[in-house]
Amino acid sequence: MTKKLGVAAIIMVFMVVTIGVAMAEGKGNARKGKYLFRKSCRTCHIEDGSAKDLSPVSKTQADWQIIFDNTSKLQCKEEWEKLSEKDILDIHAHLWGHAFDSPSPAKCK
Amino acid sequence: MSATKTQMISRRKFLQLSGALAATTAVTNPYRVLYALTRDKGEITPDEIREVFSACDMCFNKCGLIAHVENDVIKKLDPNPNSLKSRGMLCARGNAGVKQLYDPDRLKYPLLRKGARGDGKWQRLSWDQALDHAAEQLDKIGKEYTRCGFLFMAGTDMQSTFVHQFAEAYGSYNVISHESNCLLSRNRAFLDTYGVMPTPDVLNCKYVIMPGSNRFEALVTPDSMDLMTAKGNKSKLVVLDPRFTKTAALADEWYPIKPGTDMAFFLGIAHVIISEELYDETFIKEKTFGFEELKEHVKQYTPQWAAKETEIPAKDITRIARELASAAPSAMVYPGRRSSDYEDSTQIRRSYAIVNALLGNWDQKGGLQVPKKIKPGSMHIEAPFYEDNPDDRVDAGRAQMMFDEEGSFKHTRDAVIEGKPYPIKGWMTYKTNPMQTGANRDKTIEMINTLDFMMTVDIAMSDTAWMADLVLPAPSYLERQDPLSAFLAASTCSGVITRDPVVPAMFESKPVFWIVKELAKRLDLGEFFDFTVDDFRKAQLKKIPQVAKALKEDGVYNITGPSFGIHKGKPFKTRSKKIEFYNTRYKDKGIDPMPVYKQPKTIPENHFRIVVGRNAYVTQSASTNNSLLWELEKENTLWIHPKPAIAMGIKNGETVFVKSLAGKVTIKARVTKETRPDTVYMDTGFGVLSKGLTNIFGKGACIAQVLEDKADKISGNMAMHETFVTVTKT
Repeated sequence: MTKKLGVAAIIMVFMVVTIGVAMAEGKGNARKGKYLFRKSCRTCHIEDGSAKDLSPVSKTQADWQIIFDNTSKLQCKEEWEKLSEKDILDIHAHLWGHAFDSPSPAKCK
Repeated sequence: MSATKTQMISRRKFLQLSGALAATTAVTNPYRVLYALTRDKGEITPDEIREVFSACDMCFNKCGLIAHVENDVIKKLDPNPNSLKSRGMLCARGNAGVKQLYDPDRLKYPLLRKGARGDGKWQRLSWDQALDHAAEQLDKIGKEYTRCGFLFMAGTDMQSTFVHQFAEAYGSYNVISHESNCLLSRNRAFLDTYGVMPTPDVLNCKYVIMPGSNRFEALVTPDSMDLMTAKGNKSKLVVLDPRFTKTAALADEWYPIKPGTDMAFFLGIAHVIISEELYDETFIKEKTFGFEELKEHVKQYTPQWAAKETEIPAKDITRIARELASAAPSAMVYPGRRSSDYEDSTQIRRSYAIVNALLGNWDQKGGLQVPKKIKPGSMHIEAPFYEDNPDDRVDAGRAQMMFDEEGSFKHTRDAVIEGKPYPIKGWMTYKTNPMQTGANRDKTIEMINTLDFMMTVDIAMSDTAWMADLVLPAPSYLERQDPLSAFLAASTCSGVITRDPVVPAMFESKPVFWIVKELAKRLDLGEFFDFTVDDFRKAQLKKIPQVAKALKEDGVYNITGPSFGIHKGKPFKTRSKKIEFYNTRYKDKGIDPMPVYKQPKTIPENHFRIVVGRNAYVTQSASTNNSLLWELEKENTLWIHPKPAIAMGIKNGETVFVKSLAGKVTIKARVTKETRPDTVYMDTGFGVLSKGLTNIFGKGACIAQVLEDKADKISGNMAMHETFVTVTKT
């Protein structure tokens, strides 16, 4: 059992590191990420929605990185768990790539 | 997603039908007076006279106006005194807007090309025929080349947002604006220094250095008027320009700087301010990043060094630096607007931004400001995603830091011609004329000739429309309902404006909103345009009812309150959260983190550098055919200094050849001391190919035909001052 947990932990760490490296390298597809962000996040994070209105320019790149590094601490962590690794990379590419202090801040949500 | 086949007919059948129905239609109108202006309804009763608020569209400034209407005919346009941005004024171009509306050269109905591209043979279509044909092409190209195989380009217009929305719903992210032929490198530079593009408070500024900008001719409201007012209040204006413009004529000091050396001038200014410790130490410490690096960096750029580069005496550079610092923080390097000049135009503008930061004029009266703004609501669409689309824009990676939502005309055009990284075979343009504004016209023609289909929506038969396969007539700004538009301007005059039809749309013209909505219906995308412009405006106004009231009562909503001292303690939108003298993102990308001066290319023997500019009565190519404005300038000329002209035996008014690696034109010479001996100049907007522009066809030369298409390395902005030409007698 301990051995299994250890393997699982190693896999988890490996996944986190892999996603982190991929994010740092900007491997996601921002175009797809924009679509996924609207479909997955903007259902709640919208003006007059059930959660705070969010767009890429709501945060700095550093702040978005903190969010993506700590999705398990978010209130909507269950929604994040439904997303694939690729989906998360794509959403990251959109939000981080068009953040408040990014070279190309988003004009629309 | 597929097109609704029942609503379309095949191209073959369509052509058979339309060929049988109509012969080739002439574009030019033999009748020079419009029926609308000849209606005689007898005596006018008071209830037939109306005064209607609107916003000018003769350039991008959107000045407030009041249209005087009699019997549904606009008799004249007056300034709206409520419009703080336009300071209750309307310029000559604004007054001439009536002639854009009542122009016999206007496009009147949809036209389909019948001969070779550019031959000017057209066939009149009904709107249903035209829209069915366009939808069929959009569907076909989308299926064959992916949705990104269709390119969209929309100019500065209050309805351009709908073109962007249509492109998104259709599935193409290849959307470009006019801005990469204009100001993107300026925006890039200030964004990468301040995290925002500030507006200059010219009105309260005590000392303005204006490099290149020609604010008394290339009008920007309120800056043009404010600069004049400030001059009356003893503000000092120093102009750096190789041409003796009207702005130079009214300046306190004019320096005909050697073209391409502005950065050397401002690095020299920075050297003096830093070495003589003329800056505000607290401001530098609290609000800036990389001062020590900058201090070290500019040690090499002494005024004596800058003098050799710029041909401006070192003593003047030193004196100006001291005077600027003495007037700070009410002193500025005017950021300017069009910055499409050199391959390092972003870095040149970074040097402006850096000197402004040394003057500590951020958020100060008479400095660079980001005034309060009001954000109208919006109506977003949940656009679908097309899995077969490529990962990125067609021009991605061709510039170091391109704006994703603007793109680059130069790089997109190259990519379309090369067919790399993927083919683009369709193009829709709205309210933009790259055939005249994009350097290297032959290349634009080459690009168009690689396309399967091109459609243009415009008011008149521009050169771009002339090359299109399908031309759709749009109403002028005085005939249509637009969404709200918020604008930022310094000195307490930001606000919101909108337009409603002053008179009904003439001919068969239809607004681009209606056109994309009809196309969406035909492409099974109707759900994304299930609203009216009125619905859109209601969404915009939902949380700002005070704006609706002001627009109705005053024709404009002005934001009042101070426009400075409102960002105290707030972080800058940069990586360091401060004003960045040193840009770490640039360093990470292999870009010089501070501007490093590189000498402009040496002008080859017997050549001249050609530069671009404007006068007060033309807006690039959009207004040269306007019958009132055309009275002021019937054709453009080549400005050439007497020294080389005499040496070559060229007389004033004589026709000359102007030749570059891009092309050759003939134009009349204007021999004048108002330009440097090594620099020639001509206005934009003449030498048209379109026979549908009857006033200017056959007049003057097209500058886009001789400009070579270089680009700013960082932003992808066109670089239009990198061209050398020969001038010879014909």
